[in-house]
Amino acid sequence: MTFSTNPLKLVMALGRQRRAYFIGTAFLWATIHATPIIFGLAMRGIFDALSGSAGAGANAWSFLAMGLGLDVLRIGLFVGGIYTWATWWLEMTLHVRSSLLRYLVEASGSRRLPDSPSEAVTRFRDDVNDIGEYYEYWCDFWGFAAFALAAFATMLAINPLMTLLASVPLALTIFLTRLLRPHIRNARRLSREATSRVTDFLGETFGSVQAVKASGREPFVLRHFATLNAARKRRALTDTLLTELFRSVTDNMVNIATGIILLLGAAALKDGSFTVGDFALFVTYLPRLTQSLSFMGLMVVQHKRTGVAFERLGRLLVDAPVEALVTPRAYDLEHPQPPFVESLPNVETFQRLDVVGLTAHHPGGGRGVEGVTFSVRRGEFVVVTGRVGSGKTTLLRALLGLLPRDAGTVAWNGATVTDPASFFVPPRTAYTPQVPRLFSDSLRENVVMGAAVTDAEVREALEQAVLGPDLANMQAGLDTEVGTRGVRLSGGQVQRAAAARMLLRKAELLVFDDISSALDVETERRLWDGLFTAGETTCLVVSHRRAALERADHVIVLDEGRVVAQGALADVLDAAPELAALLSGEREETRGASAHAGGVPAL
Amino acid sequence: MTTSTAPTRRPPADRQTSLATILMRYLAPQRGWASVMAFLLLAATGLQLLVPQLLRRFIDGALGTAPGEELTRIALTFLVVALLTQVMNAVATYVAAAVGWTATNLLREDLAAHTLGLDMAFHNARTSGEMIERIDGDVTSLTNFLSVFSVRVFGGALLLIGILVALWLENRLMGAVLTCFVILEWVALSRTRRAGVPATQLEREANAKLFGFIEERLQGLDDLRGNGAGAYTMHRFGDVMRRVYHDTRKAWMLRSIVWLSSYALFVVGMAVTVGSSIYLVGRGTLTVGTAYMVFQYLLMLQNPIEQITQQLQELQKAGAGVQRIGELMGMRSALPRDGTTRLPKGPLSVEFDDVSFHYPDVGPDQLTLDGVSFRLAPGTRVGLLGRTGSGKTTLTRLLFRLYDPTGGSVLLSGTDAKDADLDGLRARVGLVSQEVQLFRGTLRHNLSFFDDSVSDERILAVLSELGMTDWLERQDDGLDTLIDSGGRNLSAGEAQLIAFARVFLADPGLIVLDEPSSRLDPATERRLEAAMERLLAGRTAIVIAHRLETVERVDEILVMDRGRLVEHGRRDRLAQDPDSRYARLRKAALSLDLALAGREGLAPHEAHDEALEELA
Repeated sequence: MTFSTNPLKLVMALGRQRRAYFIGTAFLWATIHATPIIFGLAMRGIFDALSGSAGAGANAWSFLAMGLGLDVLRIGLFVGGIYTWATWWLEMTLHVRSSLLRYLVEASGSRRLPDSPSEAVTRFRDDVNDIGEYYEYWCDFWGFAAFALAAFATMLAINPLMTLLASVPLALTIFLTRLLRPHIRNARRLSREATSRVTDFLGETFGSVQAVKASGREPFVLRHFATLNAARKRRALTDTLLTELFRSVTDNMVNIATGIILLLGAAALKDGSFTVGDFALFVTYLPRLTQSLSFMGLMVVQHKRTGVAFERLGRLLVDAPVEALVTPRAYDLEHPQPPFVESLPNVETFQRLDVVGLTAHHPGGGRGVEGVTFSVRRGEFVVVTGRVGSGKTTLLRALLGLLPRDAGTVAWNGATVTDPASFFVPPRTAYTPQVPRLFSDSLRENVVMGAAVTDAEVREALEQAVLGPDLANMQAGLDTEVGTRGVRLSGGQVQRAAAARMLLRKAELLVFDDISSALDVETERRLWDGLFTAGETTCLVVSHRRAALERADHVIVLDEGRVVAQGALADVLDAAPELAALLSGEREETRGASAHAGGVPAL
Repeated sequence: MTTSTAPTRRPPADRQTSLATILMRYLAPQRGWASVMAFLLLAATGLQLLVPQLLRRFIDGALGTAPGEELTRIALTFLVVALLTQVMNAVATYVAAAVGWTATNLLREDLAAHTLGLDMAFHNARTSGEMIERIDGDVTSLTNFLSVFSVRVFGGALLLIGILVALWLENRLMGAVLTCFVILEWVALSRTRRAGVPATQLEREANAKLFGFIEERLQGLDDLRGNGAGAYTMHRFGDVMRRVYHDTRKAWMLRSIVWLSSYALFVVGMAVTVGSSIYLVGRGTLTVGTAYMVFQYLLMLQNPIEQITQQLQELQKAGAGVQRIGELMGMRSALPRDGTTRLPKGPLSVEFDDVSFHYPDVGPDQLTLDGVSFRLAPGTRVGLLGRTGSGKTTLTRLLFRLYDPTGGSVLLSGTDAKDADLDGLRARVGLVSQEVQLFRGTLRHNLSFFDDSVSDERILAVLSELGMTDWLERQDDGLDTLIDSGGRNLSAGEAQLIAFARVFLADPGLIVLDEPSSRLDPATERRLEAAMERLLAGRTAIVIAHRLETVERVDEILVMDRGRLVEHGRRDRLAQDPDSRYARLRKAALSLDLALAGREGLAPHEAHDEALEELA
């Protein structure tokens, strides 16, 4: 990929974001880093004047005043530099993160993460920070480069031999920096991982403390904890060791360079070709020169890292060019934004949905659906059923465009849908996934999600989703904080809240993925009843529950990703031994004059 | 430390915990290394103090009459001293880190063992996140303190004192000037540092919120996209962005005060030192070399002052952490662990003798169990029925001795649970709950529950017994297959099977099975049922049933209602007695089913509610 070799172009594009701040920052920091060149001159002036050397030119006090004046100026520059840098850094990193998130939640086509969400978050955090740091290098670069050139030129003019010999250990630091830095970063990463393994394990252990205690396995759990602790200690110590090694090496190079100057300077000081002031200048410049040089070494490393960071972010984007991340966009982060106003497309009334030959596969896994064909007409209740792993969820997700499809067509009211992901949204369709998610926010926000509705409508939807009784038990009502940081809802409550979220959208076609998995039969039945008394609704539902199947106008039986039968329940029962097997447990029980499975939930 | 001692180690009984006692207890075993570190720091500090002295001798020698060889010798000494200082400092830092980690890892393990041993009342009041903070967070501040503080503060303080002494010896005016400067900088830095703390806190929170927001949205990508909430999500993100923008910038600006004031003070120090040097050299009371040495000492002062003021903050943090560690260590479990009786092998008998129980957070007027008495012969399979909140789960918790009854006693094979060895008791009583607890780690660890003495052969035998061999073969790495935290990469049915296998491996004499609800499709359910049959064979079993179908296969029925045992008998007899609650329940369920089969007529849930009311 081209961008991995040249992050510079992308970075230049990104630099257009609030450009004045970018340029201002670079200017301020260039000045800050370059000005110490004058400190060396001031030091030389002071010590030459003190030692009565002829070259001093002015008295020591004026050199001291020059140095101090410059310090005061730099303090002012720092304040400005930090402000502009903070502003620009934040604007830019937030812009990249926002573009990335916008792309994942809004862009057309199907979106799937290459890895787990928490892994994606580390890309949002670390890779974007890497890009930010690269800019930091560019802001600092000019000042360091100017300092290095000027310092080197001054030193050469004073004593070329000494300068060149002293530069040898300094140049070595560049190589050592480049050699050691990746190892240090790696050690730090490993150390962080080992730490998170320890904390994760603690979290898991105490999160399931009852199970751990009930099993009487505390000693083994504690021994495992000790193993993880030992691994963490090893990693942390490696990190310390490398960091210390790096520090001593760079510091010692300065010491060696100083030693070289002392050795060569002994004779020169005697014959007057090298003054105490010159010595003071050399010693003032050396640490900064090393710093500048190792900065250059690190900048090369960072250049590569930035390329990798863009590449990794590009993989999150899947089908879009990585340029999407760096296209400037105007934000006004200084002021609060206006309230959100929902805008829904105008759509014609739903008549029918036709799926022909739909084929899709899960990324990485063989599971999928092959050549699925069916139709949903207005007002119908269509149930997709089949055993675990038969492709029910894959079918719904591919239909809605949440998974890319390999073949087949989907038509809405007879017109082929080209971008299902953008098309199948309210007011056309609304969807409840198999494992719905609530966000750390109030129950109201979670259900409303920006829809223009009143609290009364929210309560009605919650009532319809059979969450009313639960709501009555929540002290803060609709303002109850839910999600990971709030009240812990049961799996069934989350499902019903998600169902309410869907119902509130007043979509033409409701798509439920296995709503029953966390609901007892009774609650599920109430939910369907509520839905049908509410008015004319079209539903496409994944379920293996009798409550749903018996209500179905049309049943689609999947096995190994293929439709093995579809039609009215009675018809498919004869045609599909698969469904008969599915329901047989329940059937036999019924015939045998005993209670059927799945009943009597509230016992 | 050696890991093999961890399982048996218990925290010492004394609970007066201060920083000093913690240091004594956990550092004492490492006093050898600690003295190595102290020696290195002393030596390194001495050498560091020598460097400016060498430079003075060099400059004064060069300006004066010293021979060239003398200067060369000084230069070489300088090189050796400087290199040695660096190496010693690096080694001291490493040793300090090793000492710190070893000591605090021991402390972490003791804390984990101690808290894990506390009763459920303690755990129910705390989230796992809080426990991470208490066991790892507080101790980590101590780790930083031990590994960094010692070197930076101890070494820094030595250097600081050394420099001041050297200056006083050299020239009283210089000594006085720099001592004042050190005091001034100390006071100023300690003050300004505090300003940055709340801002940093705010920045951390804003950032945590930013990434928390992103992670949750990525997890719920289908929820968002399937419901067209993209624009809304980005609008919410706009709010989060603004908060990060303002809070972070504010934190950076406030934090920059710390080092800007340190820089400003340095400028003041420089003005004073260099100014007085110029004055004294002009009067002829100071040599140029000495002036240069004083300047070098000024540069050297900067670092220890910054380090010490920064580390003193860490000290406060560590102090607060130690206090919380002390509180935690001082807590005692309400369940004394003094039982020693071992339970016999084979199926256990169960006896509840007039057992009453209320949870610790409510009074005795709110009994969860009220005078429950029953006896189960070894090998009996019993179905436990009752509405939600009738006390079924509580009853089973007493079997594991997660709580002790407030009245009466629970006997397992004739032994009072209180007299039994606690770990032994829990090993003999197996639990399969609805929610399967899986850990991030290998499948092997999840099955053996980290017991490394369980051989692969036994695990494989158990898996084959449960009909899971095919399933195992489909896994990528067999027993080494990695399970995600919480088992996210497993289906509910697979997780249940793993839970069965786990209990099977433990070979308990009594199994409490909270029947998996209808999360599964019927085909998977039948597989589970077969596995369950094998699991329960030859053991006493208490099954909390959610479906009458399961109860069809038990020997006896227990029905609970509002904490009381309202019915206990052989299943077949109860089924034949039309007045029994069990029989009425079956009838209600049947009529419900018929109503469903008819599709029309009586709304099914009405019939169902009726049945339940009757039961109650």
